[in-house]
Amino acid sequence: MKKHHSQTLMRTLIAGATASLMATATVADDAVIEESFFPYRTETPRFDGLSPGMVINQNNVAQFKDVIDPAFYSFIEQGWTTITVGETTSFDLHPNYVEATRASLGQVSLGDQVGEISGWQAGRPFPEEPNADDPRAGEKLAWNYKYGYNWGDSAAIYPFYWKYRDMDSGDVERTIKFNFHFLNYMGRVIQEPTPEITPNPSELFRAIYVQVLDPSDVRNTQLLIHRASDDLKRDNSWLYLGFQRRVRRLATGQVTDAFLGSDLMIEDFEGYNGRISDMNWAYKGTRYMLMPFYNHNDLTLDTETHQDDDGYQVVAFGGQGGCFPNITWQLRKVYEVEASPADESHPLSRRVHFMDAQTFTIPRTVAYDRKGSLWKTFTIGQAHPDHHLPANEGSGVSIDDSFSMIDVQASHCTTGQFKGQVDPQLSPTNMFNVQHLRATGS
Amino acid sequence: MQTKIKGMSLWCAAITGVTGLSLVTLSPAIASEDARIDGYYENATYARDGVGLSKFRNTIQLEGEKQFGDVGLFSNVSVNATLRGSYDGVYDLNDDEYGRNAGGPILLQDTAPAPFAAPFVPHGEGLELPNTFDTANNPNDGMIVLGENLHDQAGGVAFGVPVRPCDEDDRGCIDDYLDKDTNDLRFQEFNDRLDFIRELYVDFDLNFDSGNTLSTRLGKQQVIWGRTDLFRVLDVINPVDYSRNNIYDELEDIRIPMWILKTDYRMGPTEVFDGLAFDDLNFQVVWNFDEFRPHDIGQCGQPNVILDAGCFFRGMNNLWENGGTVANFANGSIATDFGPGQIGIRQANLPSWKLSNTQLGLKMEGVYGDLGFSLNALTYRSQLPSLHGGIPAQNGFTGETAVWPSLIAFDIHFPRVNLVGGSLDYYAQSIDTVVRVETAYTSGEEFANTLRKELYSESDVLRYVVGADKNIFLPFLNERRAFLFSGQIFGQHILDHEREQRLLGEAGIPDWEHNWIGTLLIKGWWMNDRLSPQLITAHDFRAQATTLAPSVEWLASDSLKVTAGANIKVGDGARQFDDCRTCNPWDPFTQAYPGQPAGESAGLGGLEPLGRFKSGPIGMAQEEDEIQLTVRYSF
Repeated sequence: MKKHHSQTLMRTLIAGATASLMATATVADDAVIEESFFPYRTETPRFDGLSPGMVINQNNVAQFKDVIDPAFYSFIEQGWTTITVGETTSFDLHPNYVEATRASLGQVSLGDQVGEISGWQAGRPFPEEPNADDPRAGEKLAWNYKYGYNWGDSAAIYPFYWKYRDMDSGDVERTIKFNFHFLNYMGRVIQEPTPEITPNPSELFRAIYVQVLDPSDVRNTQLLIHRASDDLKRDNSWLYLGFQRRVRRLATGQVTDAFLGSDLMIEDFEGYNGRISDMNWAYKGTRYMLMPFYNHNDLTLDTETHQDDDGYQVVAFGGQGGCFPNITWQLRKVYEVEASPADESHPLSRRVHFMDAQTFTIPRTVAYDRKGSLWKTFTIGQAHPDHHLPANEGSGVSIDDSFSMIDVQASHCTTGQFKGQVDPQLSPTNMFNVQHLRATGS
Repeated sequence: MQTKIKGMSLWCAAITGVTGLSLVTLSPAIASEDARIDGYYENATYARDGVGLSKFRNTIQLEGEKQFGDVGLFSNVSVNATLRGSYDGVYDLNDDEYGRNAGGPILLQDTAPAPFAAPFVPHGEGLELPNTFDTANNPNDGMIVLGENLHDQAGGVAFGVPVRPCDEDDRGCIDDYLDKDTNDLRFQEFNDRLDFIRELYVDFDLNFDSGNTLSTRLGKQQVIWGRTDLFRVLDVINPVDYSRNNIYDELEDIRIPMWILKTDYRMGPTEVFDGLAFDDLNFQVVWNFDEFRPHDIGQCGQPNVILDAGCFFRGMNNLWENGGTVANFANGSIATDFGPGQIGIRQANLPSWKLSNTQLGLKMEGVYGDLGFSLNALTYRSQLPSLHGGIPAQNGFTGETAVWPSLIAFDIHFPRVNLVGGSLDYYAQSIDTVVRVETAYTSGEEFANTLRKELYSESDVLRYVVGADKNIFLPFLNERRAFLFSGQIFGQHILDHEREQRLLGEAGIPDWEHNWIGTLLIKGWWMNDRLSPQLITAHDFRAQATTLAPSVEWLASDSLKVTAGANIKVGDGARQFDDCRTCNPWDPFTQAYPGQPAGESAGLGGLEPLGRFKSGPIGMAQEEDEIQLTVRYSF
């Protein structure tokens, strides 16, 4: 009886200790999630002299050197552009993505070599704050970007205008009008089916479908990219040329070439569009920086480039050569990550990514050539979904809404103007099959 | 002749992949959410060495699309139309070469020894057979000597070929096949088949609960099979207009659209059974219910006559209709005057419209892992002509009309051909290279064959293309943009090939039993892809003939594109083969040696007419070097 009593007591103590540990762990988990997804709930970033509504220009930029990346700082210093400061706002990602992160917290780990990961099903794989002592902290941040919420389970940029500009004269050399469509096969958290579309024989992680609408001589040129979940595997890509009416498989290893003659490499898309395993990643620090986050509907927009029945207008551009989006910037928590190509023949020596800590988008990237000289800088304007198209409201997607890739050495830029739509009807699964290219071609 | 070396200017863009697209700026003429109309004007001006202007083509093309969305049971309903009209001013601006004043009187070689020695005789002044011809019906004017643009008569067969448009001179014009008048030549699309309606079709989908889709296109259209750009191995559903720019124009521009029903059953990712799943799977049925059309091989008197076959045909039809003088014929040396109805081409038998003459194709296509594949089957009518001997003809010596063995008197036929084939593409990650393979096995094709009494035979044929594309940085030329290198090898194997050594030379099928053509493209880009030079080479290994085609494309503005280039041939041109002078059809009058069996060739050969099949399209165009300028304005 005594023995039984002591056993009961022991079980009670163990249970109590376990419960206590679990409670402690749950609290810890909540803190991680809170810190990762809601960094502005308890604290608003501040910097001496900086206030919403002010304009940073050639005259006062020196005062804000610590919160502007060096490339953009030089642009302002030269009088090429200015920064209009906006209020820091929270870009809350969709709750399902947050919950998926919570569900798999602590279950994701890196493999032995760069590009290997295990235990991930959905959500942010490494929501914990990066540790400067962790040699693979940069790699974990890269994974957070790759498996980020990005465009959600599916979305479309419909349409998407690219303009090639001479930065000296301001001449627009070309305008290409696209539709871009994105579909996640894995890690889905909102749109049925979740968490994966099946059958998925090649274990695809994501697919991108691009269709050229104009100009007429390349109309119906289409591009389909299949990205495997295995990061060590290269993409499978197919191109349909409207003026040739044939689907061609593409060699996708050459992702460092100029895309369609623009200032972007394929590898540049969305901030970084290569494999994790193609780079050596280094975490360089966390700080507050001015980043291109804004409310699209609050901007003065471009009235000429796009008109439609929704009354939607795209972001206007100005500044030197028309290479800078007319947007506002927020002071935000940023992870600075340096990516050095593993391949020594890569035309870049490094990219410095400024990742937004809340959304894990990459709104600013500065790239250096093999000699270490500044070559290109990439800005991707992020629009809040609740101040954009009505259909995007509540989507929890930080909307890619404008971009500018500036080739400093060539004094040339490519700008992008988006109509991003988080609407699964625009990106049905059968759009991402090879046969769709043939069926759509005329 | 199934070989198709595709357009020199756009081929490059086709194989550049993502990085190789050439784009001009947005310039929609009329566009809305569900309708659009746009188009272009293009001038193509070519000059040919020794000839002068060879093309001054002005083209206007309009393209329109109207989308209707869901209509009843169907979704994605749309109507597409493409209209094209062109005027080629070369027939007016260089009419001495290609118009109403082309050609003239000719001399035909006569290598007979004394007492007949006369190095050349005028047309109509050869050795008269007992049943000869009247020059009143076939005067010595408005003609060229067959093959004269490429070679001398060189002791072989030659005869006069009328070259003026058929309304100016109807000699040698073959009804319903090669009978273009001046306006047909000037305005290629405005003809009885309404080619100015380049395409007109309706698309509609039927969606099933399974998620699969039945996707249909009905109307005048192009149906493209295969994965390679340069060669028509599987891409054989639509005939091709070679008269536009020989083998060097874009297939997109020179396929002749047909009235076709094309239906695809699209299944997408499909697990057939446990362990076998496709990333994409599709079944297609193609029914070409249009009235048969052959390739347009070019009429003699046009700048582009592939293999010079149109000249051979026109000269031969003229011989049949009117009689004529043939160089170096009797005894293999005497220019000889044949009467009408003795030798030549009598008529072209084009298949009429009836259900049994329609054409049917099946295709299964998909993606399995890293492998794209297709399996294809097609039953169709050959778009290339086949010359059948064995028609009744007059014996030039006796006047008797009968079927004579191995007599060079023909009808043109277009035999039924059955094709099975397939294609593969594969991305080799380790070498970052895409490999493409396409193959076809046909039965029913016919080839000239001087070993047969009907002078043709049937053979199964195996064709294939293996290609590889790779982008390579050449930093010393361009640090920021890779160059495209694309190579292909095309093989053709005539499996029932026949050839024998006879007393005076080889006889049989003139085409090479095994032959290969290699191509290489090198293309670069500067100025944000607005300036793009390239070099294309094609080499016929057995013919030892090569084409070099350098060009530069410049996008001058949003809508203006200028392309300057050249097309230069090097290597061998004309080749010899048994010309059937010694086939002894009218035994014993045509015996080459005592006791020669009737209808059995002794193998005496010359450059005409069968050497063309050894020279191939590159070799036969050796004297057609050109500089070319094309300006296109899109609107």
